[in-house]
Order: sequence, then C-alpha cells, then structure tokens
Amino acid sequence: MNALTGRQKTFAGALPALAVSLLLLSACASQPTSPDGSIEVRNKLTALQNDPELSERARVELREAEQAVQLAERPLPDSEKALASHRIYMADRRVEIARATAATKLAEDQRAELGEQRGEARLQARTREADRAHADAAQARSSEADMQRRLAELEAKETERGMVVTLGDVLFDTGSAQLRDSTNSNLDKLVSFLDQYPDQRALIEGHTDNVGSADYNQRLSLQRAESVKQYLTQRGITANRLSASGFGLQRGIASNDTAAGRQQNRRVEIVIEKD
Amino acid sequence: MHKSSEPGLIGRRSMSAGLAVILAILVGCASTPEPPTGSLTSAREAIASAEQSDARQHAGAELDEAKQKLMQAEKAVESEDMLDAERLAQQARVVAELAIARTATAKASQVNRQLHQDADALNEELQRMGGQQ
Repeated sequence: MNALTGRQKTFAGALPALAVSLLLLSACASQPTSPDGSIEVRNKLTALQNDPELSERARVELREAEQAVQLAERPLPDSEKALASHRIYMADRRVEIARATAATKLAEDQRAELGEQRGEARLQARTREADRAHADAAQARSSEADMQRRLAELEAKETERGMVVTLGDVLFDTGSAQLRDSTNSNLDKLVSFLDQYPDQRALIEGHTDNVGSADYNQRLSLQRAESVKQYLTQRGITANRLSASGFGLQRGIASNDTAAGRQQNRRVEIVIEKD
Repeated sequence: MHKSSEPGLIGRRSMSAGLAVILAILVGCASTPEPPTGSLTSAREAIASAEQSDARQHAGAELDEAKQKLMQAEKAVESEDMLDAERLAQQARVVAELAIARTATAKASQVNRQLHQDADALNEELQRMGGQQ
C-alpha cells in the first residue's frame, strides 16, 4: 500500500475502474454471503458432477449449469431478492437440463450395449439352428443309407420308376398262381422293409413267358401278383399301400427262345415307388 | 497498512460515489420502456419445439410451467414491468428447454425398455429351443 501511495499519479487514469470495484466491495460489505437457495443448487450440481455415469455425458450442459450456478452464488443486496431467486431458478433448471441430457446419453449408450447383447443372442440362436439342421441332415442321411442297405439286401435295382425287386418264378409251381408253402426269405425281407418305411407304396406286377395264349398269361400274371399282395397283407402291410397288376407276356426282359430266357421272363416285380 | 493510505482513498471514494450515481441513472434510463422482444421470441420458439418433440406426453408439467411463465412475462410487458418480463421470458425458455431434455430422456428409456422386452422374449425362445434339443 505504501508503494501505491507513491504511484498515485499513475492511478488517476484508472479511477473509473476503481470506482466500480469499490462499488462491488461496498455491496459485499452489506451482503457478504451467497443468496439463500444457491447452496442447494450448488449441491445438486456437485452431485451430478460426481456421478460417474452422468458427469462425462453432458459436458456442454454441465458447463452452462456451472456458469449459472456461479452467477446464482454471487452475493446480492437485500433489495435484489427478485434477481437472486431468478438466478437460482435459472441455475436449477440448467442443472436439471444437464442431468436429463446425460441420462438420455446414458440410455443411448446402454442401448448400443443392449443391441450387442441381442446380436449375441441372435448369433447363438442361429448357431443352434445350424447345429440342429446339421443333425437333422445327418439323421436323414443315416436313414437313407439304412434304406439303401435294405434295398440292396432285396437285390433291388434302381430304375426310373423306383427300386425294383424281382421275385423269380421259383415262388410258383408251373401254371399255378399259388405261392409255394416254403417261406420265401426275399418276400419276408420285403415285409420287413415295408414295415420299416410305412410311407412307401409298392406296385406288384406279374409277368410271364410266351408259352400259352396271351389271355392265359395275362390272367396268370395278375393272379400271381394278387397272390403276392395277399401274402404281404396277411403279414400286416395295409392293402391300400399295395397295388397288383398283370402284364402277361408283354414285358419280357429276356428272349423266350431259350429255357433260361423264359425262366427270366416268368417273374413278379415289386416296384417301390420313389417318394 | 490501511491507516497510511486512508486520506487518499476517502478522496477517491467521494468521486466514485458520484460516478456510481451517474451510472445508475444511465442504466435505469436504458431499461425502462422497451419490451424484451428477443427473450420473448426465444421463449415462444423453445415452447413450440418442446410441443413438437411430444413434451405434452413426456414432460407435461415442465411444458405447462413454461407456458405459464410466458403468460406472466406477457402480462408484465402489458404492465410495463420490463425487467420482470425479461426474467420471466428467460425462465419460460429455460424450463421449455428442460421439457425438451426430459422428453428426450423419456423417449430413450422407452426404446430401451422395448429392447429389453425383445431381448427377454428372444432369450425365452432360445431357452425353449434349447429344451427341445
């Protein structure tokens, strides 16, 4: 201060500024504390600033709130009560805006996380689906393989119409449509196959050689097919899965000129239809 | 320290008192007749955008308060209390902004709740599927 008195001349120019500051000082002297209510707003703001989830999520709004609170904390004379409460109102709303803005941002950030979790769940769902499809396919393959194996046992041949099992003429006595009494392992294998695959239908077709009239052969081939059908139904295969027809000598598979050829032509074919 | 400089300060204090009076008169003159048009406009705009953002649904109390403050501000203009009008207009604006901010929060939480429900439903389905296997 002694130094100040020594420099009074230089201070003459700064008089207006000094006047203002003095005015402020005198105001302080009459009302040195912050207005009522500013403490509450400050506490609210401090709580928000110390909230680890919210404080970083509304920086701009928090800065505005900080400025508003600082303004509200400025001491005012008793005569300025209206201004004091106005500043507190403004500061309070600014703090609330900062809080709401941060809460919105928090919700959005959590949403991104939630989306990731959901994506994870979806991924798991898809993986399981894929696994199941894989297992189903494997099962389908194994059942298909099983069917192929059984058809191979029946010595079935693959044709355009499906698998064809040929039962030779040894099943029947000459000129007879009666199945021989002796059990036929090939027919029993067919029963077992049809039991295993209840959706499969079978066409039973009778064929003959060219010995005798066409009419006779036609009738005989149908009767033999019917005999096979009867055998199958007696063993539990439902009749509506089976159809019997006779082709007589029309569809020979070998020459009727030789005994061996004629024997090949006397047959019953079971066509296991394709699905 | 104060004692040595007091005579000089007293001289300056009397001068500054005079200056303060002049300043006070000037400030008083400037603020009397003009209505706070800018603040009123800002308040109306803030209220309008609050209404546009569905504040009626999500922050009805804040929106009502903003409208009330604006009405009070308009009344203050009528009774030529421009200082009050200015403050009320500022308050109307800030509380309308709060309505907007709280509406955004409500909407964001609503979306999250929906997502949570979806995720729960998905998890449930997954568990059901798991049980089938």
